[in-house]
Amino acid sequence: MKRGNFLLGAISGITVVANADHVFARALADTSLPGFPGASDRVFVLVNLQGGNDGLNCIVPHGNPQYYQVRPSLAIPKSDVLAIDANVGFNPTMRALKAMYDKGMVAVVQGVGYPNPDHSHFRSTEIWQTAVPERYEHTGWLGRYLDDANLPASNLFNGVALAQVLPEVLVATKTDVPAVAQLRGYGLLSDRNAAARRTFTELVSDNRFPFTSPYLAHVAEIEDHAQRGSEELPRLVAGYKTDAAYPATPLGRSLALAAQIVAGRTGTRVLYVQHGSFDTHVNQKPTQDRLLGELADALSAFYDDLAAHGNEKRVLTMTFSEFGRRIAQNASGGTDHGEASPLFLVGGGVKGGLYGTAPDLGQTNMGNLRFTTDFRQVYATVIERWLGRPSSAILGGSFAPLPLLA
Amino acid sequence: MGAPRTFNEHMAIGLIRPAGSLDAMTALQPYRGPWSARHAAHLLRRAGFGGSADEIARYAEMSPGDAVDALIRFPDTSSLPAPDDVYDPRPLLASFFRGDKARRRALLMQARKASGASIRSMREWWLERMLVTPAPLQEKMTFFFHGHFTTAALQKGVWPTYVYAQNQLYRSHALGNLRDLTMAVSKDPAMLLYLDNADSRKAHPNENYARELMELFTLGHGNYSEEDVRQSARAFTGWSIDRRTGTFFFNHRTHDDGVKTFLGRTGNFDGADIVNMIYEQPACARFWAGKLLDFFVYDGAEPHLRDAVASLIHKHDYEMLPVVSTLLRSNVFYSPRAYRALVKSPVEFVVGTHKAFGLARIEPRSVPALAQMGQILFSPPNVAGWPGGQNWITSQTVISRANFVASMVNAPVMARSTLARMPLDARRAAHALADAILQGDAPPESYAQLEAYLDGAGTSALGALSAENYEERARGAAYLTMAMPAYQLA
Repeated sequence: MKRGNFLLGAISGITVVANADHVFARALADTSLPGFPGASDRVFVLVNLQGGNDGLNCIVPHGNPQYYQVRPSLAIPKSDVLAIDANVGFNPTMRALKAMYDKGMVAVVQGVGYPNPDHSHFRSTEIWQTAVPERYEHTGWLGRYLDDANLPASNLFNGVALAQVLPEVLVATKTDVPAVAQLRGYGLLSDRNAAARRTFTELVSDNRFPFTSPYLAHVAEIEDHAQRGSEELPRLVAGYKTDAAYPATPLGRSLALAAQIVAGRTGTRVLYVQHGSFDTHVNQKPTQDRLLGELADALSAFYDDLAAHGNEKRVLTMTFSEFGRRIAQNASGGTDHGEASPLFLVGGGVKGGLYGTAPDLGQTNMGNLRFTTDFRQVYATVIERWLGRPSSAILGGSFAPLPLLA
Repeated sequence: MGAPRTFNEHMAIGLIRPAGSLDAMTALQPYRGPWSARHAAHLLRRAGFGGSADEIARYAEMSPGDAVDALIRFPDTSSLPAPDDVYDPRPLLASFFRGDKARRRALLMQARKASGASIRSMREWWLERMLVTPAPLQEKMTFFFHGHFTTAALQKGVWPTYVYAQNQLYRSHALGNLRDLTMAVSKDPAMLLYLDNADSRKAHPNENYARELMELFTLGHGNYSEEDVRQSARAFTGWSIDRRTGTFFFNHRTHDDGVKTFLGRTGNFDGADIVNMIYEQPACARFWAGKLLDFFVYDGAEPHLRDAVASLIHKHDYEMLPVVSTLLRSNVFYSPRAYRALVKSPVEFVVGTHKAFGLARIEPRSVPALAQMGQILFSPPNVAGWPGGQNWITSQTVISRANFVASMVNAPVMARSTLARMPLDARRAAHALADAILQGDAPPESYAQLEAYLDGAGTSALGALSAENYEERARGAAYLTMAMPAYQLA
């Protein structure tokens, strides 16, 4: 033992706090309203396909000769496409997701977008995450759901972002959402030492500072939540085992942790994971194929895992990307920023099949696909038909849900 | 170290004044208020990467104007060591196309492996330079431009040799002209590769660079149209790289020399014309004003302040030296609104922690720790750089920050740090730590809690601070001081 190491000092010892059963009981609070179907233990998982996923090479319009004209070297040969019908089919790397589709577990919504599309990654990501295309909004649509849902305020895990940075979609007014990159390393080393642990708790609750700062209260609150949360979380998800074959990629690891959290007693309703980058301006094919294959394999392993723990009906997963890409390929074997693209809803409650209208390759916005389904209709579907809350206040308007959930 | 200052004493020495925004004229006038170690530390955090106790004391002895001069008129730093290993794969890949597929793959694997090792060593090299440079502001501007004109290594052919050249480019323009720098960035191999312009040809222009040049580098969203993106992308076609020499190369054959209409003007424009026209836009000066205020003063500055800084930038024709000089001397820079009003980036946190302990070398554990905190030098998350501000603080990253400090205070090198010279009295030691690490920016109750920790309070088994337990307690107390919310703020 090093004499000076304060973590190994004579007073060290594992400390045990909090009451896991108490948290468990809170998690069972029913948050749906009369007339809305949300059951108490439903979870929504959002998968952000960062960078702008090229929709045309994801759900491929293999029945459309125009597709093969505008993408002379980038188009996916008809014989390779995993056909859904005579018009469209999956990218050949997405075999695992196609198998789930064939079992009725996947809804494909085609041509999703929003009015006056923005071609900036950052602004368009913001629009997808806030669900407010008209103006700059601070909170995310899932953050507003968390604020609205009457979830137990004392639970630190109502929403969890499996990321290092909190995504805007989970920024809320009343709810602080923890960001957890991975379980390993999610804990303060100093909590091993009782005196250091106690003093840390005291120091982050002090508030009579000799200066003011717009960030002080926020930092103190997050430090407090980090200390308490990192003590609670491993206990709440302990004892979990899985045989599911997740890809050894960041997305695979994130979804494995998501399955563990779902199986635990955290009371979590919303989870966020991310995957990318899909920003394929140059030599698109190898990159996008790899990413789509990983996505399909990871989602397939995720639902195998959930099923092995009896949770597959509790979890609805949705993908989104900030935009699709330009219809025509560019000179670098890639595609530039575009507009509408398809998204997937997988798992709990989904009535599998194709939804929405495939975008028209002839009627375009300056070479970009026009959207046929407003993204807020998809959000309204999730909020009302899955999470069991009215959507108009959260979305700032009335959007008709799609009939894709049973 | 003396007794703690009370709130009223802080008021009396001018550190706390009633909040409220300054009018634009007053805001940028030179600050003539009180000057203390606290002011000096504030200046060193913003214009550099924090200060050691000695540096803070030295700057506190100067007048405010002399302190800024010492940072602005920085010495020649060309004698500082270059990285040991800036890997250039071109000799290895020279015969790339003469081999079969298996050989090509083997060559690429070899180049990637060597590049990864090279970039890892360059990360440590840069942190060390931030720590030891006699020109902290030069390094801070280099860091600022790295997050602004951002480029990620090890993808799209951005090899270490290009990364180092870009890093040196930012250093050489540290307080130079923004238009000149933007022109140089537009021809910088790392940038040409990272944003795909090296492959942009007349038949199908690649819009990636043209878009980000306006959106993220110079004008900001909403100050140009989609058509401006398409037209300027045409102007940048043919701006490429000579892969043999690894330098900028203008390819006449792939350049579109047709007529373009850009920002309302029509002509046979090339990339240089585009940059010049962008810098004629009032939105450009306003854009940079916002960026500089966010980085040096406080984020989300009032429109009148932003306009005043934009006028200053315009007046000096985008020369950074007079603009940054004015900001660092200004009333608004030393105002309560600006004080500890920024969240430290992980790099500032890590380098500043080394300074606070008086360490001469960067501990190698810093590089992996920075990844845990969300900031990997030469690998920003995307072309917008690191989102920064409040985004630095999540439950995950505060745990990583605290655990980094916990591992630092337990490192063998601490035996030679400022911790080795702490008072043996718990009360005095608590104040010494809070003064050295936080310049006294701790709540009064925190002093008492630190003191109790140092004295073993609450643990019946152990007694008061003594020579026996001194080392362990001092390390723990230093950790706890750096875990305090105030230490996360710059």
